Amino acid sequence: MPLETKQVASALAHVPLFEGISDESMARLSAVTGELDFEAGQFIVLQGQVGTGLYVILDGSARVVRGSDELAVLGPTDFFGELSVIDQMPRNASVQAIEPTRCLALASWDLLDLLESDPKLALNMMRVLASRVRQHGELHRH
Amino acid sequence: MALSPQELVDMLSGLSLFADLSRPQLEQVAHKMTEESYPVGQRILRQGFTGTGFYVILDGEVAIKIDSEEVARLQKGDFFGEMSILLGEPPVADVVTTRLLHVLHLGGPELEGFLRDHPQVMYRMLKAVALRLYNASRTRS
Amino acid sequence: MVVVGSGPGGLQTSYYLRHLGIDHAVISADPSPGGMFRRFPFFQRLLSWTKPYGPVPREDRFYQWFDWNSLLAEEPESKAIMPTLMDGSSSFPSRPEMELNLATYAQRTGLRVRYDCRWESTRRDGERFVLQTSDGEYRCQVAIFAVGIAEPYKPDTPGFEHVAHYADTRSPATYAGKRLFICGKENSGFELATGLLQWAQRIVLCSPRPAKLSVNTHSLLGVRARYIQPVEDQILGGGVFMLNASINRIERLGSGYRVLCSRSEGGPELAVDADEVIAATGFVCPLRDLPDLGVSVYGRSQLPSMTNYWESATLPGIYFAGTIGQGVSGMKKYGLPANSGAVHGARYNARTMVFHVAQRHFGVEQPRPVVEPSRLVEALLEEATHAPELWNQKSYLARSFSLDSGKGILDEGIVPLADFVDTEGSAAVAIAVETDDTGDIHPAVYVREQGRPAVETLLSSQPLHDFRTAEHRAQLSSLLSGVTAGAVR
Repeated sequence: MPLETKQVASALAHVPLFEGISDESMARLSAVTGELDFEAGQFIVLQGQVGTGLYVILDGSARVVRGSDELAVLGPTDFFGELSVIDQMPRNASVQAIEPTRCLALASWDLLDLLESDPKLALNMMRVLASRVRQHGELHRH
Repeated sequence: MALSPQELVDMLSGLSLFADLSRPQLEQVAHKMTEESYPVGQRILRQGFTGTGFYVILDGEVAIKIDSEEVARLQKGDFFGEMSILLGEPPVADVVTTRLLHVLHLGGPELEGFLRDHPQVMYRMLKAVALRLYNASRTRS
Repeated sequence: MVVVGSGPGGLQTSYYLRHLGIDHAVISADPSPGGMFRRFPFFQRLLSWTKPYGPVPREDRFYQWFDWNSLLAEEPESKAIMPTLMDGSSSFPSRPEMELNLATYAQRTGLRVRYDCRWESTRRDGERFVLQTSDGEYRCQVAIFAVGIAEPYKPDTPGFEHVAHYADTRSPATYAGKRLFICGKENSGFELATGLLQWAQRIVLCSPRPAKLSVNTHSLLGVRARYIQPVEDQILGGGVFMLNASINRIERLGSGYRVLCSRSEGGPELAVDADEVIAATGFVCPLRDLPDLGVSVYGRSQLPSMTNYWESATLPGIYFAGTIGQGVSGMKKYGLPANSGAVHGARYNARTMVFHVAQRHFGVEQPRPVVEPSRLVEALLEEATHAPELWNQKSYLARSFSLDSGKGILDEGIVPLADFVDTEGSAAVAIAVETDDTGDIHPAVYVREQGRPAVETLLSSQPLHDFRTAEHRAQLSSLLSGVTAGAVR
């Protein structure tokens, strides 16, 4: 369900990916994002499934799991699913809520539209991806 | 090979990084970047060094080496150097020429402005970097 | 050994070959020395300074940082010739003053050049090269080409064959009252526009992209400040027009021309009529048949691909001196090129190249004096503060010392930095002067351990550019103590 721009902006205030994006982008973001709630133990995304979006954790926590390995624990302002900028990529890990968790969800096609129109967002995303490539041994993301 | 300005623009139009640009936009890119040539066995990016630039390969081949171990090769149309510039950190790999190399070079401080001026290039670069991340995380498992 | 060219590159190269006792011939198609400075620039002083009243006495080695136009020499009477020829009205020599500077150097040093001898073609004969010239054949093991980027280039767009090139510009009075169309918005185009501003009735400067001005790039890249008067005239609407357009074709129209172009912003084809069209479309290297022989070339100036010692990357034994040396990029940190295209950078490149050629091909070694370990830190910081090679060629040339525990610390002299950092050899240290995108000038130290590539450490800047401070000494000592096993403290 779409959210108020103010709500989205405050939720994303501390997420580096969205830092400095234009007001117009923030408005568009709020028009296309929705809130999703997950129960403890529920899978937010599953390894092997084709990824369709980016998630930002607003409340709660989740673990990143590949096979039987727990790779990381994520909390509020952490995000995952940025690799859905590439079309039709299967998720390379699962993310499972540890406790009741609320996420902001952004469909990959909407994310791509935003990236194409907001250079600052695209630059932020590039930096995120670049630092993830560097860290791929330590931090595991989709 | 020595390309006239027109031939250079023709060549750029065939590279996937610049695939979405119109001819005047390609001319802008050619104008902002500098052609350079390096012999075989020359380091272009150096692990741990400051002041790196952004490079697009026009002809030839380079090897990417981390701690002297080769991890990949890049050819015509590929690019490198952007990670260090975007992250503000020195390179973690060496990039060494394996064949006579002809590149376009853009100084590090100019990359961000260049990408803002040419969002289609940034978008293509974004996808290429995401693919690198995807492949990197897959090989680990 | 043959040197082709009698401009700054050829003269400087020949001087050091002779200094090392290496027999060689110098040939030049010109009737006299000076190279490009016999003709260019047409209308302006040079862009390189020589300060007759600089902060350092002219006998001082560091004076070379304040004199970008004199060639290097060992004898006092042949050093710093340029300031002695300038009339004091400017820190920038005029073209005739520069030409005289080079001619005086050639005469005082007694360099022997065969003038009016045109190099026509080249072939291999076993291990040797044979240069066919207008005065017969020259055979050599090594050939050094200092032929400049001197061959006028015009695009093959239809109609350009009818128009003059920048190189053929006539005296300014012959352009009086004319409508002038200049193709190109780089230094040569602007130099013409500035020089003909008061003569021409109207000046149009045309190229697809807007002019890049050095005052905007905050560097020496782009059109230099002294040439941008036409920009002000254009802004004020004084008869100068900057057109961002590609030229489709040029037609003759009576005694003048019609230029048909497409504006970069789009729109219908534009026709501009002019009395004179000048193609300020640049130059290429006149390398004749060298590419057919195996010299690989690149770029719109058709520069040869070279190693860090200015040798052809694909045809060993062929070297280059003078402005062509700009094709060796070096480290190019932050995208900033060194001054290899200009006299003040090329003169050091020539000397370094000659020492390398002498050692590689003729077995002539440079003396490598032993340095006391206790003096090494001081020597390095002194170089960073006062070595003109390092100041003129930042991030490009460095002073190097080898640290072999058996032989002691040896002064290896000036080396190309890119070569030093990538060579895996004996333990060594090199110091360079560098700048970054903020304009901060600071020393950079590269320490190489036995068999490993060099590691970079940047030292801090200092407001008066004197790096011989306690802080610098301490930092350098600690960097070196490891690799010299405590010998340097």
